[in-house]
Amino acid sequence: MSAGATVARRNTLGRALLYAVLAVFAILYLMPLYVMLVTSFKPLEEIHQGNMLALPDTWTFAPWREAWGSACIGLECSGVHGYFFNSIKIVVPAVLISGLLGAFNGYVLTKWRFRGHKIVFGLILFSCFIPFQIILLPMARVLGILHIANSTTGLVLVHIVYGIGFTTLFFRNFYESFPDELVRAAKLDGAGFFTIFFRILLPASVPIIVVTIIWQFTNVWNDFLFGVSFTSGDSAPITVALNNLVNSSTGVKAYNVNMAAAMVAAVPTLIVYILAGKYFLRGLMSGSVKG
Amino acid sequence: MSTPPSLRGGARERLQHWLPRLVLSPSFVLVLFFVYGFILWTTYISFSNSGMLPDYTWAGTRQWSRLWSSWTWGIALHNIWVFGLLYIVTCTALGLLLAILLDQRIRAEGALRTIYLYPMALSFIVTGTAWQWFLNPGLGLERTMHSLGWESFSFNWLIDANMAIYTVVIAAVWQATGFIMAMFLAGLRGIDGEMIKAAQIDGAPTWKIYGRIIIPQLRPVFLSAIVVLAHLAIKSFDLIVAMTGGGPGNATAVPATFMYSYAFSRNEMGIAAASAVFMLAVIAALIIPYLYSELRESRS
Amino acid sequence: MSFLHIHNVHKRFGDTHVLKGIDIAIEKGDFLVLVGPSGCGKSTLLNMIAGLDAISEGELLLNGERINDVHPSRRDIAMVFQSYALYPSMTVAGNIGFGLEMRKVAKARRREAIQRAAELLQIENLLDRKPAQLSGGQRQRVAMGRALVREPQLFLFDEPLSNLDAKLRVDMRTEIKQLHQRLGTTIVYVTHDQIEAMTLATRIAVMRGGELQQLGTPQAVYDDPNNLFVAGFMGSPSMNLVTARITRHEGRLVARIAAPAGDVTLPIVRDRAALEAWCDRDVMLGLRPEAITDPASANREDGDIHEATLEIALVEPTGADLYVVTQLGGRSINARMRPGAPLSPGQSTRFAFDVSRMVAFDPETEARIRDEVPATPDEASTGHADSTGNADSTGNILGQNA
Repeated sequence: MSAGATVARRNTLGRALLYAVLAVFAILYLMPLYVMLVTSFKPLEEIHQGNMLALPDTWTFAPWREAWGSACIGLECSGVHGYFFNSIKIVVPAVLISGLLGAFNGYVLTKWRFRGHKIVFGLILFSCFIPFQIILLPMARVLGILHIANSTTGLVLVHIVYGIGFTTLFFRNFYESFPDELVRAAKLDGAGFFTIFFRILLPASVPIIVVTIIWQFTNVWNDFLFGVSFTSGDSAPITVALNNLVNSSTGVKAYNVNMAAAMVAAVPTLIVYILAGKYFLRGLMSGSVKG
Repeated sequence: MSTPPSLRGGARERLQHWLPRLVLSPSFVLVLFFVYGFILWTTYISFSNSGMLPDYTWAGTRQWSRLWSSWTWGIALHNIWVFGLLYIVTCTALGLLLAILLDQRIRAEGALRTIYLYPMALSFIVTGTAWQWFLNPGLGLERTMHSLGWESFSFNWLIDANMAIYTVVIAAVWQATGFIMAMFLAGLRGIDGEMIKAAQIDGAPTWKIYGRIIIPQLRPVFLSAIVVLAHLAIKSFDLIVAMTGGGPGNATAVPATFMYSYAFSRNEMGIAAASAVFMLAVIAALIIPYLYSELRESRS
Repeated sequence: MSFLHIHNVHKRFGDTHVLKGIDIAIEKGDFLVLVGPSGCGKSTLLNMIAGLDAISEGELLLNGERINDVHPSRRDIAMVFQSYALYPSMTVAGNIGFGLEMRKVAKARRREAIQRAAELLQIENLLDRKPAQLSGGQRQRVAMGRALVREPQLFLFDEPLSNLDAKLRVDMRTEIKQLHQRLGTTIVYVTHDQIEAMTLATRIAVMRGGELQQLGTPQAVYDDPNNLFVAGFMGSPSMNLVTARITRHEGRLVARIAAPAGDVTLPIVRDRAALEAWCDRDVMLGLRPEAITDPASANREDGDIHEATLEIALVEPTGADLYVVTQLGGRSINARMRPGAPLSPGQSTRFAFDVSRMVAFDPETEARIRDEVPATPDEASTGHADSTGNADSTGNILGQNA
């Protein structure tokens, strides 16, 4: 039963006003995305003359083609596609490995507790909340020592390390409410540590796996700080490339290309959000309100 | 859960006993080294002579006093204070308002929720790019208003040193409000409906039911929202880089951009480290009590 | 040597002493029910037998072998959990067969065993379903099938019926009892429901606060409780407990109980020797509701009936019985009368007390006052050969001192 539901009155005027306010906010929230989209389909002259909100007079895919394949970022003029694939190369292993580690940690911290498990969890959890500025300097040196500075491999390591906190949190909270009796029953049945995990817990973990993957995917894909601090040139992720493209001070600003590039950077996470918004929200919620 | 009985004999059973800790240890070692080791290292550097390269000679509080006498750091602190306050207050107020409006048996609630929340899925760089264009003084909103007939409309905050920080607030609020709304909505849905029915029978008008009964019960949500927003604000870096690059001049510098530029462009490692330690201290003061109380509650 | 021997077992969680030296021994084929209020340590004890909780002190012997440190899966026991603990991702057949699979039993034999267990429990048609598609009662059966299929030496049940609705609970109780009788298995069963304990057990262990209060057959625990706690815990409606003064009346030991219309005096026929020492002191007297009846339903053959007139405060018909509440010793007491008896509140009527079933407790220590501790719990349940004959009931000393 929703709180407002019982409060709501059958006041027609009030209802109309209510919908009007909600609609205005919806338009405000959609506006930037709309402007981005229409701009990306306009030729540059039209942008310079016309109304930002107007639909294109002549639709053109040229800005998208240019953004993808030939826009100049720094000295390289081959668009953002290489950086897009960099991001994919970073995201996939980082998400999978940090997710797996988090699942194991959550399992141990709830079903195989040992003395001091709370402190261990607290220490891991706190790592979610540190301002990453505190690790930029030493991380840059360590990546250099490991010869993975300025590489997607280096960023994979960084994202795994600082992703563990959240993935552990997600799985721990999920397994916390997973009945202990099932684990006890499996122990009596003769199942060991890994058998219990892979046969009993993991098959029941689909929702939290989805939440974790979406959360990690969004975070790693959208990361800028690590990308800009630890990579440059060819190995940068898409966010860094987008920023370099948009905020480079040379030449005429091709707003339509910028917006197309921004859309390229935004599309993967937007798709995930539209397809699995429920899980996306669950991740956000459990990232803020501990269970 | 219990610990299993001490196991006599059987290497396999002894292994089973140690396995959980063994499985946890790689993560724990990574976190210890890359989080706590690095925190210690950075803290030490903030008390050293380090410039372009680490220099481990002890310099006392030299870097700290250089930090505090820095003009830009003063601006950064001022900005984060203004930005943080406006961001938290606006997001919370707007988020609560939207949540209450959405909680009135709205027909298209699902669609509206999706619309309000989608910016949270975007990268700050995308958000920054979009809003930079939207608020572009020459071609953006200003031009649009002119072409709609409002000739005197002027909006050049983006390049106005005094106002630029507010454009960042607008974009940041746009991005996070939906999330705060979702938090409040979840809180509203958790309130006992019978209590509200009782209040209605007692004759309380709707606004009073919200003011006196519902909103006071959302206190934990307020706390969570404020902590989350404060935490996001202090870490804000991407959005400022994408929208204003910290400019015009240093007008929109915040501690995060300050730290970055001293670390990687100005080669002042010591000052950068000191500013990072300061940020950590502020966040720790905010987060640790919060985490402590949250974990405590969940235990009972 | 008994089959399962729990010898001076202690459990400590940090500073809290959960079990304080439990001694229980049962034979093969016994159905032991651990019963007590929540927090009494019964589930902890069960988990220790299963090997899921470590034993802090003491010994656990199964079939003469010390199993304190044997891994749960090697104890040859099976357990039915309160929540059933069915693996959500496996089918019913997968659930039942999992333990065999872990023991590397060949697939064909596994299938046979699953089939047999399913037939026994009449769940053959459910084998391909997932636990989420089952009703509570079906889940209960699957959980039992999972235990049965392994043919263990010992079955453990942890409040297995507490998640079922009232009707199903009674049905499943009967089935468990039938299964026990048919298979002759040894069972340790935990419950907080004393009716379950009474109906199922061959041995009841009543526990409170980590201590064993009494171990015996259901009848012994019911008729011959060790202390006030056991007396009050077992039985529903519970035993009537009233304060009474032991005095001598016309040369005989009697208990005098205050009542609104004048004291009621009942002769002491049980534990007379022990109660001699309590002359002119107060004791707590216990009498089951079914030992206070209307004169017509009184059991004059085995009992020792004395009557008194009391005023009815309340009448509670349950259909099968008629419970009549009256005031005695400053308390409301329950009497079980013939259903349909024309009784109404405010009316005074004759109450028949079967004093041969009366027990007395020390009001301070709450311990039973009895002649001698019976050698084995069984003997205690075999009635009371020493109770005085019916001659007394015609009663020279019964009655009220107006």
